[in-house]
Amino acid sequence: MVLILALPPVAANGQQAQSASSSATRYQAPVVTDTGDLKGPRQPIFFRHDIHAGQDQIPCMYCHYSASVSSEPGIPALQTCMGCHTQVSGSTPSHQAEIQKVRAAWRERKPPEWIRVHALPGFVRFPHMRHIKVLGTQACTTCHGDVQRMPQVEQVSTLRMGWCVRCHMERKVTRDCSVCHY
Amino acid sequence: MTDSLDRRRFLKVLGVTGAGAAALSSCGIGPEPTERLIPYLIQPEDQIPGKATYYATTCRECPAGCGVQVRVREGRAVKLEGNPDSPINRGRLCARGQAALQGLYNPDRIAHPLVRNANGTFEDIDWDGALQRLSAKVRESHGKGIVFLTGAEVSTFGDLVDEWMKQVGGRRLSYEAFGFEALRAGNRLAFGTASLPTYDFANAKYLISFGADFLDTWLSPVEFQNGFSRSHAFDAGRPASMAKFVYVGPRLSLTGMNADEWIAARPGTEGTLALAMANVIVRQRLARAPVDASRLTALLARHAPRAVAESIGIEAEVIVRLAIEFANSRGGLAVAGGMAMQYPNGAEIVAAVNILNYVVGSVGTLVRFGADLAVGSTNTFGEIATLTSDMAAGRVALLFVHGANPAHSLPGAFQQALGKVGYKVSFSSYVDETTAACDLVLPDHHPLEQWGDSHPRAGVTALQQPVVQPVFDTRQTGDVILKLSGKTGTFQDYLKGKWRAKHPTGFDQYWFDSLAKGGMYADAPTRAVRLATDVGSIAPAAPAAPAAPAAQDQEVIVFPHPVLHDGRGANKPWLQELPDPVSKIAWHSWVEVHPDTAARWGLATGDFLLLKSPFGAQKFPAWVTRSVRSDVLAVPTGQGHTAYGRYAKDRSANAFELLGVQPNGYGGRSFAVRASATKTGEHRTIVTTEGSPRERGRGTVEVLGLARAKSLHPGDAPFHHEETPEYAAGAVEWWAERQHEKAEIGNYKGEQPRWGLAIDLSKCTGCAACVTACYAENNIATVGEELMQRGREMSWLRLERYWLTDNEGEPQGAVNSPMLCQQCGNAPCEPVCPVYAAYHTPDGLNGQVYNRCIGTRYCSNNCPYKVRYFNWFNYAERGGEYEAFPEPLSMLLNPDVTVREKGVMEKCTFCVQRIRGAQNQARLEDRNVRDGDIVTACQQSCPSEAIVFGDLNDRRSRVYELAGNPRGYHVLAGLNTKPAITYLARVVAQDTPSHG
Repeated sequence: MVLILALPPVAANGQQAQSASSSATRYQAPVVTDTGDLKGPRQPIFFRHDIHAGQDQIPCMYCHYSASVSSEPGIPALQTCMGCHTQVSGSTPSHQAEIQKVRAAWRERKPPEWIRVHALPGFVRFPHMRHIKVLGTQACTTCHGDVQRMPQVEQVSTLRMGWCVRCHMERKVTRDCSVCHY
Repeated sequence: MTDSLDRRRFLKVLGVTGAGAAALSSCGIGPEPTERLIPYLIQPEDQIPGKATYYATTCRECPAGCGVQVRVREGRAVKLEGNPDSPINRGRLCARGQAALQGLYNPDRIAHPLVRNANGTFEDIDWDGALQRLSAKVRESHGKGIVFLTGAEVSTFGDLVDEWMKQVGGRRLSYEAFGFEALRAGNRLAFGTASLPTYDFANAKYLISFGADFLDTWLSPVEFQNGFSRSHAFDAGRPASMAKFVYVGPRLSLTGMNADEWIAARPGTEGTLALAMANVIVRQRLARAPVDASRLTALLARHAPRAVAESIGIEAEVIVRLAIEFANSRGGLAVAGGMAMQYPNGAEIVAAVNILNYVVGSVGTLVRFGADLAVGSTNTFGEIATLTSDMAAGRVALLFVHGANPAHSLPGAFQQALGKVGYKVSFSSYVDETTAACDLVLPDHHPLEQWGDSHPRAGVTALQQPVVQPVFDTRQTGDVILKLSGKTGTFQDYLKGKWRAKHPTGFDQYWFDSLAKGGMYADAPTRAVRLATDVGSIAPAAPAAPAAPAAQDQEVIVFPHPVLHDGRGANKPWLQELPDPVSKIAWHSWVEVHPDTAARWGLATGDFLLLKSPFGAQKFPAWVTRSVRSDVLAVPTGQGHTAYGRYAKDRSANAFELLGVQPNGYGGRSFAVRASATKTGEHRTIVTTEGSPRERGRGTVEVLGLARAKSLHPGDAPFHHEETPEYAAGAVEWWAERQHEKAEIGNYKGEQPRWGLAIDLSKCTGCAACVTACYAENNIATVGEELMQRGREMSWLRLERYWLTDNEGEPQGAVNSPMLCQQCGNAPCEPVCPVYAAYHTPDGLNGQVYNRCIGTRYCSNNCPYKVRYFNWFNYAERGGEYEAFPEPLSMLLNPDVTVREKGVMEKCTFCVQRIRGAQNQARLEDRNVRDGDIVTACQQSCPSEAIVFGDLNDRRSRVYELAGNPRGYHVLAGLNTKPAITYLARVVAQDTPSHG
């Protein structure tokens, strides 16, 4: 069993790398007082993309690493969480409580069952890697919205075919059915 | 072992296929179902979600030892493909091998150990309890007879069993229903060695098979088929072009129907024919005589063609002609086996054929001793018969059965004798007939879940590694034996230990390399052989045939089914639904009857015939065919199971029931019996995919005589007259332009490929490996016997078999044509679709958008090739009446392909998922798709390498070159459909082939 103990690049040396000027404009995730107000499905662990991807500026590809090489973006293994959270315990009691859930899941070898937010029907193929290849690794927001600002992830695009095709028409790329449907 | 398997632990990260996803499609109706995403605890190092991982292992469906690569997606094995590193199958795999997946995920697998209780029924038991019980039984049976029966097992596992048996005072026997005793005995008679040689089909210049079905069941079919296609295919300009193939035997098997000439010799006279040919060769000095040829003088003198022709049933001139052709080819290879070695004089026949090879100098060149194929390593039938009588006499107190099902293939005696055995233990993963009679069942892992190895021949050691987590609570038998024998460690340790002992230096790297390559491969040593001193004394004369065979006394031959084999394939729906390559019958047994016989008895296809031999009686529906001798009836094995799961049980009749249990002179089993045949008056509609047995000049298959084929030059187009007639040219052009306008969407403009296929009918043998590959790759549902009888099978790719006949109308082999969507340039299916579900893709495919299809079936009605298939039922429905993928069979569904629903038309799209996959990969690597990047499933599996896929617009592609071959033609070209598939005409040795 190999534990990945290396920390993500930004989280490890982000403060040092960022100059004083940019740290002034650095996003500060809000304090969430009422989770009932948040959109999107409630997850078994209140994992905050706005803290990880927004405030701490961990690249999307750190966890969803396969999005650039595979059709599937993948859900990070619990081991990836524990890479940081063996050491990072959280600054507020509410954060600490959630991180305790991660540690408990790791201890009990029982990964959390996340509620799926983005789903495509079984007859559609969406190759993530080709979109990342063309649009770059920052382009996740094009479809998934500003996840870096979402305390709880919600679906912002319809993911319907018309929505896909509109973009394909604007960019003058293929509209062939058999590119996605087979 | 636990550690390495743990890394492959399957957690449903992306479980999005099937019902939940389908319900999502009906957006807006009701709440969307909640899907859950369960991450891995630890990401396996060797797996990326959405990407396939390939593991090399070894196929254990037959003892040939082919290497396979298993495609694993998210912890599930989804496809088996041949391992290109293996010297045996060279990256190819037969239908049986591919169906191993359905053994792994079979819904009727035994989920945990079972024990027989006081009521005589099975009840669950835990592993510890089962092992305790067993070790007590082993102790108390010491000295009272312990026997361990395995399949052909030349492997470390076999060694372990031997060790254990030695320890507890037992013995091991190995059993295969179709043994090769006659080959061993015949080689001993001729050369004084009982080992089995390798046969070099690829370099033969003339082939004659005396009953050996080397393309379907004989020794190593995939290897031999690959070699056969190299020597027998036509490739203009190659010196070895088109080795003539002559088949001698009472019926045409898959192998026989690929022959250029069929000699329907009287059963049992094959050896006489071989010696008569040798007589001509030696007498006329057609080949340089071997130094010890004098040993043969007297023997050959007794076999002058004129003297023996009548007993064989052919003319003496034919014998002389065959002998001259065989010797003058300077590369003649004769093989004996199959039916010819299952007569009482089988060993002599093999010896006679050996002599034929010897007098033309092929022994040592094309027939090389030294490899000693493991497939023939099993105990003789005589030894199994001795075991049976020991059991019946109560001399066996404890019997273990692993990898064999003798109660099915030895139904009478063995089954009764089983009852006399004190305690019976089965290691089978399925409740087969033998297991059903056992007292304790300790289910073994499936070969794809376990460690192991096998030595299919000298020089080759094929390695097996687990590619998936065990599906059920099974346990590797190797581990069980180690535990029972008080040894520490797992079977994996034991295996590694044995390998380490052979390669102590640098072992870790050696082991790693072996795992990656699927084994260690080296050339087999060649050993020179000389004629045995008493070779002159063999007498292969056939038993005298009765003067006039009455209905009460018929020669019945029982032959191995090409895909179900001895019955082990019967629990796999892919193999049940795969039409037999010769008869095109699926899901049930049959008896082959010649039309003359049928006319005499007033018998029609489908009428039941009761065959009654001295040993048993069984009913079979008749299949009236000219591919069998008129004085012979032929019945396949494979069906008639009384257990063995839902797909096999109570289906048709067991042909083994007709056979006796007395071993013959050389210790083999006789598969030819005399039986009475009576019409029962019952009738059934046979389940067949055959439309018409003859092609009748419709232009679906084209055949060229050898001389004509040789005279063709590049640029010739002998079949061109069937393309667009002049009066239609204008209309066709107009149509094509309109189609092209419609198709010009997307970014393919100017750089669109046009995907195409070239299929060489001279290479295709009709073995149907491609059909199973297509089922596996494309999630094609099996529909079952009832629906198949109504013509509702879903085989996107089917094999059409058309007989070639001589001037008398007797079949002389067949042409097999894989028929799949032709991806027409002017497709009749497209314009009739009211919803644009059938449409033309920019890269030239006839696309089929499943989610758009509303099921009018207009496209299928308008398709001249009949290659569109309709989902009459929801075959993927859980618990549905026609459920094709009951749990856990659904685990093998390819996640890259949509599982189609009821009311949807489906068809071949040249494995578009593989095309898109290759395009995606090329785009990631900033390059264009290269020729050869895309390999369709049918092309990948084809043992004869008859199928080539590529871009017809790429002038450097292989398919472009083949499409311009003068032998090329398009099926039904006169309809102006402009297919993307080019067929290359079959070439036959006759100068004036007739297929009318």
